[in-house]
Amino acid sequence: MAGVGFQRWVRTLSKGKISGISGLLPACRSGEILTYFPINIGEIAAAAKKYNIRVEDYKPIADNGEGYGDYPQLPDRSQQDRDPAYQWDHPDLRRNWNEPMHWDFDMFIRNRVDTSPTVVPWSTMCKQLFGFVGFMLFMFYLGDKFPAYQPVGPKQFPYNNLHLERGGSPDVEPEEVKNYEI
Amino acid sequence: MHPTTLMYTSSLLLMFAVLLYPLLVTFTSLPLNNDWASSHAKTAVKSAFLISLAPLSLFLSTGMEAVTSSWTWMVTTTLDITLSFKFDHYSIIFIPIALYVTWSILEFATWYMHSDPLMNRFFKYLLTFLVAMLILVSANNLFQLFIGWEGVGIMSFLLIGWWHGRADANTAALQAVLYNRVGDIGLILGMAWLATNVNSWDIQQMFILSKDLDMTLPLLGLILAATGKSAQFGLHPWLPAAMEGPTPVSALLHSSTMVVAGIFLLIRMSPLMENNQTALTLCLCLGALTTMFTATCALTQNDIKKIVAFSTSSQLGLMMVTIGLNQPQLAFLHICTHAFFKAMLFLCSGSVIHSLNDEQDIRKMGGLHHLAPFTSSCLTVGSLALTGTPFLAGFFSKDAIIEALNTSHVNAWALTLTLIATSFTAIYSLRVIFFVTMGTPRFLPLSPINENNPAVINPLKRLAWGSIFGGLLVMLNINLFKTPVLTMPAELKLAALAVSILGLLTALELATLTSKQFKVTPLRTPHHFSTSLGFVPAIIHRQIPQLSLLLGQKIASQMVDQTWLEKTGPKAIANATTPLASATSNMQQGLIKTYLTLFLMTLVLVTLISAT
Repeated sequence: MAGVGFQRWVRTLSKGKISGISGLLPACRSGEILTYFPINIGEIAAAAKKYNIRVEDYKPIADNGEGYGDYPQLPDRSQQDRDPAYQWDHPDLRRNWNEPMHWDFDMFIRNRVDTSPTVVPWSTMCKQLFGFVGFMLFMFYLGDKFPAYQPVGPKQFPYNNLHLERGGSPDVEPEEVKNYEI
Repeated sequence: MHPTTLMYTSSLLLMFAVLLYPLLVTFTSLPLNNDWASSHAKTAVKSAFLISLAPLSLFLSTGMEAVTSSWTWMVTTTLDITLSFKFDHYSIIFIPIALYVTWSILEFATWYMHSDPLMNRFFKYLLTFLVAMLILVSANNLFQLFIGWEGVGIMSFLLIGWWHGRADANTAALQAVLYNRVGDIGLILGMAWLATNVNSWDIQQMFILSKDLDMTLPLLGLILAATGKSAQFGLHPWLPAAMEGPTPVSALLHSSTMVVAGIFLLIRMSPLMENNQTALTLCLCLGALTTMFTATCALTQNDIKKIVAFSTSSQLGLMMVTIGLNQPQLAFLHICTHAFFKAMLFLCSGSVIHSLNDEQDIRKMGGLHHLAPFTSSCLTVGSLALTGTPFLAGFFSKDAIIEALNTSHVNAWALTLTLIATSFTAIYSLRVIFFVTMGTPRFLPLSPINENNPAVINPLKRLAWGSIFGGLLVMLNINLFKTPVLTMPAELKLAALAVSILGLLTALELATLTSKQFKVTPLRTPHHFSTSLGFVPAIIHRQIPQLSLLLGQKIASQMVDQTWLEKTGPKAIANATTPLASATSNMQQGLIKTYLTLFLMTLVLVTLISAT
């Protein structure tokens, strides 16, 4: 069993198309998964057919050495952005069967990033939120500088400022302390 | 052991056993009977409540508190962890209240979740949550508290995502877990600092040993933990999103018990915070900001549960303000009274929602005070208690807090914000009552309005008694540690009442405008700010996940290969050597002039070098 698989792998490698361990994958043998960046019109048509997109809509991701191959560049819209009332094949995922998946599809599921349009533009939202927070922080700083408190005065004690209780001698005449004015 | 001590500690441990028994029964492979939820779970909670009244009465008559250390878990040379329960006045008063509220909610849930095929599992989850909460509240060391803390977080996740086929519920559950996790970082930071510097997680030992230490860092960690768990500003969006869960979940977890866990932690650790002005000021400002912000958001919401959720968040901010005033006992008082009327508000919302065939939008309700009079009355009583109507439950705690705020040396802006939030409380409470109970019905004629079920009436009745008399009962029997300031000018004494009445009159005026054909166009900018919850979810829930997920994906898939193969590996070597090779080969083209120039340059270079 393993020997048969090994022979098939060697044969696939010798064809020169796919290198390495990915040659073991069944899809590699028919060249179904990622192939190279399409250059001519034939490769573009084949790639569009492979990914189930029309040739006019197919646009590969730019070849910057990032290894995307011929994977299409789909619009960065999340699943939450899609029409909830349309009769999707998978209504909870808002997706039809065999639809091309975005490269970052796991980021755009309904539990993650939402790209649906907001009520106000992004810049307005940021300005208002961070302006609000900044204003609050500034006002808290001012409030700390000018706190609110009830007016208080120094403590007043009876018996001539507690002369005896504070260890003063009973023979010495204490100085008169008047804590009131008439 | 003295018989009183024996009775005290054994009744509390019996209470735990009574609550754990139904849970342990579910672990056997025997099938549960159909009414397990009402016959076992609800009865267990009711029995536990009645058992917990015994130690409560012992405490009220003798002032008895106890610490029970049952079992040594692990002992190292520097740190030892035991299973120990602290039954002091905080836990002894909170436990019966939590059990009373849970009993009412479970009875209500037997009606609300009647059509759910997995009702037994729902009750099991609620019981597990209750046990975790009681562990948290009675913990005498931070390790045990952490067990309870994580337990309530996990149960919150499972219960918010109860209807897991709904993507929005899953998102809300995920939000709850992630925001709580951020708070947990703070708690673990605090625990780590205390373990390394004070060598103990035991509450009594920590208080004694940390007397001369600078506690700012662990206190900031604990405040972060409270921010996450109690939905303070910055980590607050999970609480309104948690309304995706069933109404009994919202009533139990996200109003009375779980969300107060953060505040409870700060109350327990208040002796550490007393001398640290930074921590107190931070609590005060954070609480004031939370209470005002969430009250603003509550003004324009149309989902009845969201309004009550924001109301909860606002009251939690008020509790945080109280802690910032160095009045932990007043915060605890507010926790106790808040549990009654907030749970009742949620149960009333649940009754209304089910009666109108799962309609949650207040714009599609109305006239219910004729059709569901008991529910409407309880809604009104709960709202009045929330706003601090004199001599109802909320008055005793809320008025005491506002008085303490007015007579303290306190940040003026925090004071202003709290008073504004108090008036907003009156406004959105009236809004709920106006839209739900008053006016003419705005829903479909064939709605299954039926509140005439003892499973609905009895819980509401019990919680209504609690909302009316709870505050008075707790206030009469509690001994305040810190002397309250009793003499103040009349304006300060009546400030809370005046501000609430002002809010009420404003709301009434706005409400009557609708019947006068007065086309009120709200100012769009603040209205959008309030309706979109301050744009916090829109910005934070898009920007941060997108950045981290995109970056993670790019680094893992593209950038590793690109770096090692292109930027530093074979292709980089090729890009570096090709210009060198082409320059060298361009020179070696057989042109005599090039060679003669090179000879001249070499000669000049050698002459210069040998000359120096």
